[in-house]
Amino acid sequence: MAKWRWLEQITDHEQLVRLKVIENVPLFAGLSRRQLGKLLVKFFEKEYRPGETIFTEGEPGKALFIVLTGSVLICRALHEGEENLATLGAGSYFGELALIDDQPRFASARATEASLLLILYRSDFEDLMEGQRTLAIQVMANLLKTLAGYVRRAQSQRNGRNSGSAALTSTADKPGMPSETVSRD
Amino acid sequence: MIEGEPEKITGRFDRSNSPGLMPPSSVVWILALALMVLIVYVSRGLVLLLLVSVTLAYFLNPLVKIAEGAMIKRKVAVAVIYLGIGVGFLVTAYFVFPRLRAEVNTLSGNLPFFSQRFDEAVDAIQSEIVTNYPAADGWFAPREARYEKLNNFIEEQVADLPGLVSHLASVVVAGVLIPFFSYFFLRDSRRIVKFVLDRLPASHIETSVAVWCEIDRTVGRYLRGLAIEGIMVGVSAALGLTILGINYPLLLGVVTGLANVVPYLGPIIGGSAAVLVTLVQFKSLSVVAQVVVLYLCLKLLDVVAIQPLVVGRGNNLHPVLLIASIIVGESALGIVGMIIAVPTITMLQKIASLLLERRRYFFAPAPDSRLNNNVSAQTYVC
Repeated sequence: MAKWRWLEQITDHEQLVRLKVIENVPLFAGLSRRQLGKLLVKFFEKEYRPGETIFTEGEPGKALFIVLTGSVLICRALHEGEENLATLGAGSYFGELALIDDQPRFASARATEASLLLILYRSDFEDLMEGQRTLAIQVMANLLKTLAGYVRRAQSQRNGRNSGSAALTSTADKPGMPSETVSRD
Repeated sequence: MIEGEPEKITGRFDRSNSPGLMPPSSVVWILALALMVLIVYVSRGLVLLLLVSVTLAYFLNPLVKIAEGAMIKRKVAVAVIYLGIGVGFLVTAYFVFPRLRAEVNTLSGNLPFFSQRFDEAVDAIQSEIVTNYPAADGWFAPREARYEKLNNFIEEQVADLPGLVSHLASVVVAGVLIPFFSYFFLRDSRRIVKFVLDRLPASHIETSVAVWCEIDRTVGRYLRGLAIEGIMVGVSAALGLTILGINYPLLLGVVTGLANVVPYLGPIIGGSAAVLVTLVQFKSLSVVAQVVVLYLCLKLLDVVAIQPLVVGRGNNLHPVLLIASIIVGESALGIVGMIIAVPTITMLQKIASLLLERRRYFFAPAPDSRLNNNVSAQTYVC
């Protein structure tokens, strides 16, 4: 019993909460707790006020974001106004393509309420992958699944197999996106 | 903007908020850098102390990160690491220091006879050269002139001693303050970074995080690499000198390892010390040549094997820029300036490239898809 109390004393509970969140992020599915711990120390944390822009469409992507608390709106600018693509809640992630290259963002992200986000910068991620082959393979496989999901969805829309609304509300193949939080204007 | 009211997200082609030739972020960054340089110059004494403390924190940070990854509280990890360092220091002091102290004592005991022995050694080498190559007789200065020069040099060094002693007090203060500062840097670094990030404009956070990561990566990798490289070169030199039978191998190994952190000049300083000792000890060119070959081999080993292993990929700096940065570093902060010149210039180069990249995207032409609304609904991938 005393042993557990001692462990309790030295355990970083805030870090443990973060670990629980990234444990459930589909991008990091299949990673061991030890690997997740190594990944977790690479993250930065930042608070966003309601309405604050996280990144803007067209800017070079450099980081992946994970919503720890709060919610984030993903949208695109149109000629008149903007189009809301999704609202992401706690445990969701976005900006994952920045882990692959630094091409411009396809959409903008904005905090809709006070939010706490974890940020993983690409170079830090690459550094980790250099020394962790198993981790690299697992994350890359997950990233490929995500990309395959995007391609399939885009393809099915193009082929007109699915109706427009069905395609946009069905988020089963979009990892990190709780379906109940998705909406579209 | 009113709290809670969403700000309008504009695409990169809406430049209404950023008049002028440069995006505001670039101007802010350049001003911040200029201010930082000014502060560093004005308060370089304290900055030097803080720099060494941050350096120590950088060496230890990977250990703290390992502990953090294992969900151990940062302050517990830092305390355990400091305890470990203390124990390690005591163990080293117990096993290595007596030998090192003996070498230092012998050397300081021999110092009064040093100029005489050095003179004898130079004489012996001169006659060795003249015996083998009689034509070289005219190359050397007369013995009296050389003796006078050597004596003047020693007198100058002795005259500087009181100043050195007065610096000793500040060295002791630094010895106490550096571990103290670095403890807090190490313990609170995550909190400091979060504090800064929370106060940065959210729209520039990606670039800011990118810049911070590059600084962290470049400086951390360089300093840790430098320390490991110094230890490996120092140990190799001590081993090599022991094999060659040179006096004070441990002391010369420490000098070589420490000097190695100064780019370009370091190996020359370490090698010169070893050559000097060899000269006085053997009074023979052939052994001096062996020591020179040893140091050349060490440099080769360092460049071919140690540096790629511990420092990683090169810093891709142009040699002229590299040497210029070392000269500027030396004139601004002395030896420490020379050591930090390379990571500083690499860091500035990376920051500049990140800011330029951001600027390039800002002014990039509109892609066709941006104007085609039919494509926009396909996915929210970003």
